[in-house]
Amino acid sequence: MKTMVKTLGVAALTLWGGMAAAADEVTLQLKWVTQAQFAGYYVALDKGFYGEEGLDVTIKPGGPDIAPAQVIAGGGADVVLDWMPSALASREKGLPLVNIAQPFKSSGMMLTCRKDAGIASPADFAGKTLGVWFFGNEYPFLSWMSKLGLATDGSEGGVTVLKQGFNVDPILQGQAACVSTMTYNEYWQIIDAGLSPDDLVVFKYEDQGVATLEDGMYVLEENLNDPAFAEKMVKFVRASMKGWKYAEANPDEAAMIVLDNDASGAQTEMHQKRMMGEVAKLTAGSNGALDVADYERTVASLLSGGSDPVISKAPEGAWTHAITDKALN
Amino acid sequence: MGWIVFAIAAWGLGWGLNIWLARLPRNRATGLAVPVIFGLTLLLIWEGVVRGFGISPVLLPAPSAIAVRFAASTGILWEDFVQTVLKGALSGYVIGCGSAFVMAVIVDRFPFLQRGLLPVGNFVAALPIIGMAPILVMWFGFDWQSKAAVVVVMVFFPMLVNTVQGLQATDNMQRDLMRTYASGYWGTLRKLRLPAAMPFIFNGLKIGTTLALIGAIVAEFFGSPIRGMGFRISTSVGQLALDLVWAEIVVAAIVGSAFYGGVALLEKAVTFWHPSQRG
Repeated sequence: MKTMVKTLGVAALTLWGGMAAAADEVTLQLKWVTQAQFAGYYVALDKGFYGEEGLDVTIKPGGPDIAPAQVIAGGGADVVLDWMPSALASREKGLPLVNIAQPFKSSGMMLTCRKDAGIASPADFAGKTLGVWFFGNEYPFLSWMSKLGLATDGSEGGVTVLKQGFNVDPILQGQAACVSTMTYNEYWQIIDAGLSPDDLVVFKYEDQGVATLEDGMYVLEENLNDPAFAEKMVKFVRASMKGWKYAEANPDEAAMIVLDNDASGAQTEMHQKRMMGEVAKLTAGSNGALDVADYERTVASLLSGGSDPVISKAPEGAWTHAITDKALN
Repeated sequence: MGWIVFAIAAWGLGWGLNIWLARLPRNRATGLAVPVIFGLTLLLIWEGVVRGFGISPVLLPAPSAIAVRFAASTGILWEDFVQTVLKGALSGYVIGCGSAFVMAVIVDRFPFLQRGLLPVGNFVAALPIIGMAPILVMWFGFDWQSKAAVVVVMVFFPMLVNTVQGLQATDNMQRDLMRTYASGYWGTLRKLRLPAAMPFIFNGLKIGTTLALIGAIVAEFFGSPIRGMGFRISTSVGQLALDLVWAEIVVAAIVGSAFYGGVALLEKAVTFWHPSQRG
């Protein structure tokens, strides 16, 4: 009897101790494949920032045809990275996503065109074929075309839209006059493929006044009401932003960390270092908290979509400072 | 809760009704009613379960929501139908089956071609469409031509094999008889061997109808102008518009059944003499 009590007592203590040491699990769904666009999270993982907060983080890479909103709807992740237009559109469709942090201050999206396709300014777009990604990335483009008054359904005087895959072949093979590119990724793929910057004319969404907020962290509203989950997110945001600031200060090291975590082996050192340099320009200026003025600008841009607005009314409760207030102070 | 009860009640009612109908002497009306009641019961259960358990519309929309979306999007659905089915699948089907038929006749005429071409055709047929589609899109461009090319690749080999088989279906006695009538190669082909091959040819054509639709839709996942059933399905999934996805699926099901049914009706008319048609 005495041995039984002693054994049970030791077992209980071990379990209790075990539970205290067990880390909180968080699954993060990235918006695209493993690359320096997500350096902050990989740095936080490798450098132990998540571990210091007691978090056991699993990072799931995305890719073409993976919509982060779908993944979180199906319960495949606790927190996802998504662009704000896609998140707001999903919110309107019935998936209550809430922005808890915004590491990316500026937009890196641009439309890159061939000069020999006869394009020198947005006025030349009519009648041309323009490549666009879908799966949530088409909204800023559709907003811009609406603002320019160009129809995208292929009708007379509008533009022909091509669904771009995950490469820049349409512009290289002349199937499209322009393709959508990010300052940190596809633009350099075009340069690497042999076209020189003199052959190209580039339209940055920031310069055209149609930029929308990009990579932000989103969770489901009902989960935020659970204090344990909210506490987990506070720790996650704090560690992630620490990772981002480290990555901005040490871009080459961050690029190497991303490469180490790339299971596909498809990324190259040169491309990642270049990407990290460009991404650092976009995250600088944000400490992680969403700037409400930027949010309002994005919403206004999406609402002004003319006949085909991305969202039909101003969203409510689509963002919260509750997490960043606790995480960053 | 009420919706769950409704779903269970619909299930019980449908099941009971079908059992009663199945016990009646079999005629045209009961033959039609049983599958219709089964389908309706499934739809009612689906509706009840989705509403009763409050399943999110971004995961599984209710049939009523799909019907509403279908009615509201007939313009888009028609446009996609024209792009995928009429321009992509049908043209590829005609080219694929036509060229396979011609190739089969040539292979039959010159037996040495059979030994070389059939294994190569076998190999080409084994190539996965998911691998071929992006390559064909790169070669033929983003529009319907690459989708037709994918359909040709998918449909060619089954049609070729079936037609070759069919052309060998006549026996020596029949061919000898034609020879005694002083019929040459082409006469025998036209009057004896092709009619005898028709059951096999229609087999190939029916297989081709399903493959053509699959090929056209899947090929659109890899690059398309912003029209077409495959494009709409994949981008609507990305936009979480699942009700439109299901509406497209309904269209695909109707089109696929109609295509197959049309070919089957033609088969009935042409091969009226075959034991399988005399039922």
